[in-house]
Amino acid sequence: MKPAAFEYHAPESVSDAVGLLAQYGDDAKPLAGGQSLVPMLSMRLTRFEHIVDLNQVQEMFGVSSTSSGNGANSANGINGAARIKADEVRIGAMTRQASVETNPTVAQKVPLLHLASPYIGHFQIRNRGTIGGSVAHADPASEYPAVMLALGGIAEVASPLGTRDIPAADFFQSTFTTALAGDDLLVALRFQPWAGPCSFAFAEIARRSGDFALAGAAVALGANEAGKINRAAVGMLGVGSTAVRASSVEAALSGLAVDEVDAAEVGRLAAQDMDPVGDVHASAEYRRSAGSTLVGRVLADALVQLTEELKDG
Amino acid sequence: MSPTTAARYVGQSVKRLEDPRLVTGHGRYVDDVVLAGMLHVAFARSDLARGTITHLDTSAAAALDGVRAVFVASDLNPQVDSLRASMFPPHAPAPPPNLLADKDVRFVGDPYVMVVAESRYIAEDAIELLDVEFEPLEPVVDYETAADASALVHPELETNLPNQMQVPNPEQTEAFAGAAQVITETWYQHRQTNVPMETRGIVASWQPHAGVMEVWASTQSPHELQLMGARTLGIGEHKMVVHFGDVGGAFGQKVFLGREDRAVLVAAKLLGRPLKWIEDRRENLLAANHARIEQMTVSIAVDEDGKFLAANLDQLQDDGAYPLGGPAGLGAMSTTLFPGPYRMGPVSWQARTVHTNTCGRGAYRGPWQMESVAREQMIDRVASEIGIDPLELRRRNVLKPEDLPYQTSTGLSFETTISPDQTLDQAAEIIGYEDFRVEQAKARERGRYLGLGIALYIEPTSMGMGPLGTESAMLRVEVDGHINLFMGTGSHGQSLETTMAQLVADELGVCPEDVSLHQGHGSGYGFGTGGSRSAVIAGGAARAAASGMREKVIAIAAHLLEASAGDLEVTDGVISVKGTPSAQVTMAQVAATAYQNSDALPEGMEAGLEFTARFKTPPVTHSNACHICTCEVDPGTGKVTLLRYVVSEDCGNMINPMVVHGQVAGGVAQGIGGALYEHAVYDENGNPLASTFLDYLVPTAAEVPEIEHGNVVVPSDTPGGHKGTGEGGAIGAPPAVFNAVADALAPFGVYPNRQPLDPNAVLSLIASGAK
Amino acid sequence: MAEAVAISVKVNGRLQQGLVEPRLTLADFLREKALCTGVHLGCEHGVCGTCTILLDGQAVRSCLMFAVQANQAEVTTVEGLALNEDTLHPVQQAFSDCHGLQCGFCTPGFVISVAAFLEANPDPTDEEIRHGISGNLCRCTGYQGIVAATRQAAATMGGKSR
Repeated sequence: MKPAAFEYHAPESVSDAVGLLAQYGDDAKPLAGGQSLVPMLSMRLTRFEHIVDLNQVQEMFGVSSTSSGNGANSANGINGAARIKADEVRIGAMTRQASVETNPTVAQKVPLLHLASPYIGHFQIRNRGTIGGSVAHADPASEYPAVMLALGGIAEVASPLGTRDIPAADFFQSTFTTALAGDDLLVALRFQPWAGPCSFAFAEIARRSGDFALAGAAVALGANEAGKINRAAVGMLGVGSTAVRASSVEAALSGLAVDEVDAAEVGRLAAQDMDPVGDVHASAEYRRSAGSTLVGRVLADALVQLTEELKDG
Repeated sequence: MSPTTAARYVGQSVKRLEDPRLVTGHGRYVDDVVLAGMLHVAFARSDLARGTITHLDTSAAAALDGVRAVFVASDLNPQVDSLRASMFPPHAPAPPPNLLADKDVRFVGDPYVMVVAESRYIAEDAIELLDVEFEPLEPVVDYETAADASALVHPELETNLPNQMQVPNPEQTEAFAGAAQVITETWYQHRQTNVPMETRGIVASWQPHAGVMEVWASTQSPHELQLMGARTLGIGEHKMVVHFGDVGGAFGQKVFLGREDRAVLVAAKLLGRPLKWIEDRRENLLAANHARIEQMTVSIAVDEDGKFLAANLDQLQDDGAYPLGGPAGLGAMSTTLFPGPYRMGPVSWQARTVHTNTCGRGAYRGPWQMESVAREQMIDRVASEIGIDPLELRRRNVLKPEDLPYQTSTGLSFETTISPDQTLDQAAEIIGYEDFRVEQAKARERGRYLGLGIALYIEPTSMGMGPLGTESAMLRVEVDGHINLFMGTGSHGQSLETTMAQLVADELGVCPEDVSLHQGHGSGYGFGTGGSRSAVIAGGAARAAASGMREKVIAIAAHLLEASAGDLEVTDGVISVKGTPSAQVTMAQVAATAYQNSDALPEGMEAGLEFTARFKTPPVTHSNACHICTCEVDPGTGKVTLLRYVVSEDCGNMINPMVVHGQVAGGVAQGIGGALYEHAVYDENGNPLASTFLDYLVPTAAEVPEIEHGNVVVPSDTPGGHKGTGEGGAIGAPPAVFNAVADALAPFGVYPNRQPLDPNAVLSLIASGAK
Repeated sequence: MAEAVAISVKVNGRLQQGLVEPRLTLADFLREKALCTGVHLGCEHGVCGTCTILLDGQAVRSCLMFAVQANQAEVTTVEGLALNEDTLHPVQQAFSDCHGLQCGFCTPGFVISVAAFLEANPDPTDEEIRHGISGNLCRCTGYQGIVAATRQAAATMGGKSR
């Protein structure tokens, strides 16, 4: 189980990386944390003549954030905040999953990323794996795409033509396929923190500790001061060819009083938004059934927290 | 046994002598062996379950820079007359001796070309340059229909059903006719594999002119490798040098030589260069060996009180294409062992083995354990059918001391030294059986589903038929008084360097640290380590060698001290006169006299301190155990969480309780894996769907609960009173876990009969019950 | 063939320099060039954890990196943990004390992982231990001795034993 030969490139800037990708086209592949790509290379399930290693591109690492009225401040190392808008958190694509997990800015402003991170593989994987790698790889069973989709995150993409933003809703196209073109490089992800009373919960079912999810759910809820839900975002993983939003659940929650939601019943609506694919670990039917149950449970968790939040507020 | 030496080390949890090198990364496994001029091997393997090779051109691969040789079937196969290992009968029908697939491929993973190159990287590059075409043929995948399939896995055998045995018993038919109730179910075990953390591997170095083959291998049976390797190469065993280093687990997979191992030996001789083949994980999961693929239909007759009256068994197992080591055909062993720790009454049985176009079957920790799986799951089913508590039903039928010795209708003889009733009671007590039933009832009222499973079994250990019957120990006290012990074992995690040293230390009056165990080259014939045999058989040999040595040491010391042998004692390598400790000589003084001043020895005594003993074991030594575990099933996700796990084991006197508990726990974890997680599944076209560790799910620390041990100690009649224990964990765990899950699901009115009980299966069962 | 790249890696405190093919995995580099054969290959696809090493102090799978990527980095393998010939690292000592190994093949990766885990979680509960070490597979012990060893090492390394 040894990889085929390739030529190795280690650019130190986004522009050099993009230049290499443009130069070699389909023969080139960016290497981020390598936790998915390297096994595929070793098993010779995929191969590229040119590997463009992003691990020397310092500007792609780190978390920065702005609050309304403040300029950008770098919370962790690199300030890649050129495109950051007011009140946004920007996470460089090469930021390790372990850094996302422990970064205080992320925990405070994008709690779902913080909650989802421990579910990614094991700590040795997260020490190397990156948030951009996860998102660009677009495995339907992985955590960050579901969170990104639920929260409407923005993918910041560099190409020879310049930098552009792709909203999450347009980013994930199908299994392992995104809106990124061959010479596009995912540079950063941006998220808008939620304001007002809100709560966040994440859980998944996996065969073993650290395995890819059979099904998982990311829930964010917001309420007005009267205790009515005014914002609901539900992302799901493992139940479609990409991460998917549980729009039916989100719609059903809108306007309900926090204390009158039957989480299990609302969770069952999630089945309508799923188009699961069966595999060796679980059938499509299983994913739909257990996935809906899980959405209900994660929702219940978020509701409990939101009730607390409203009480404290 | 010497009455003058107290047991100081045997029975203690002595820390392992193996550990200092292993915890610091200084073990020497086969992949750590590097020889000058060594080349690397990779195999091209079939992607088809069955097909004809219509075109094969190796020239581009051979021309690649760094490639030294490319071998096809016709280069290697003619060198081998049989793939059979020495323990299998010579006349049973066996697959053809194809080291490499010749003209056709017979399972996905079937090797058809061997590439030898300067690195494994280059060898894999060359495989991609092979110009090969196959014509796909309809494969035989489903073992239930394989016997009747028109396609033949091995046309040479003219059948897919090479092995069939039937033993009807008229008394069983009679008992069924008069029984209150006869309950029938078919139990299925699914395809699993051993998964040693170190895959298979071999380094082979041919010395031209000397005619010597020197081998380093990951093996549990260095002498089987020496014998079969020599036979493969057509050389004498004196020219086959097998070095035994650290071995990273095997669980039955490394008893026999695989086709690849033999291909490497043959190629190394042809090339005259040292070759290394290290199996990669995908090869290991695809092509090393699979196990457990079988079903047993069980009918049990009971009277009104739940007394077992008779049983009828129909066993079918899948040998795959090339069973590892030879025709496995262990189905008959499963049916024979079926009565287990119960008065089962007359038993009729049939056992059949078929070939399919899948990976060959091989030994896996308790290779016959379908007997316990089917019996223990069946007993819970019977209990449920007739409305008796499963613990109570077992108590009514279990063998008690007054029943012993006991002969089953299938011909097994159990000694008076088994204790199944005691382990059953002890495990029930530790788990708190009655309290759990109360807790379970309360939990059900709250919509939580708890379950408890029991598995009680007798493990045939240290079996002594044919090549398995003996082990040898050659003990040498060196000139400085330290001890080298040479044995035919192949310790690969069983801690024999420690346990054999403990036995020798007590017998000889030295410290375990003064004893070094050497295995492989230089040791005397033994079958190796496996079959739960080392404590009794190897231990018997080590003990006997040390005992013989002790006599001589005492005799020399008595002579040197001018004392009577009967007045001497040996402690920490010092021989002294009891009550007069100042009158003493050391082991080193005795040894120096024996080798370097032999004129000072007692008259007529042979010089030197070398003693060899060979222990012949009884036909079988039975141990027994009871597993009880509890679980909770999440009805929303189908996930099973194990809550508690208790094992009450009687393996007689323990040499090292820490090691015994480690063996039990490891087996339990494998059984948990089998019952809940692991499945080497194929699709209907014979494509393996679990060929990586992402799909073949070995349990992690998060899935295995704390294991609570109870010990009943009834010494066996073998020297030291030991019984084997290596396989038991993996025998008892699958049915215990299965029964616990089935118990948790009982409120849904469903009766599982297949493993693995993964979340998908559990949710499907619940859904089928709700309908 | 792709051009070889010159790299320089500090392995267990000693500078290891060499020309490597870009495709050479870090695990193979450590085994074959740095002669750290305690780095074991159990799956080569990032699941079993036997090849775990510390890269600049962080536990990573060395089979999922190329040697070229470790240029200028500091690597610690299991061979680099023991304080000296006579004194094992507390985690190594605990594995031996608690029967945390049988065949020993998974042990180097476990020892490294547990050392790194305890660095970040000096005072773990049993539940945290079981999940924390779930990125390494052992087929021999049923994890009983490994969990116990992690507990013991936590205590000796200064965390409170819970």
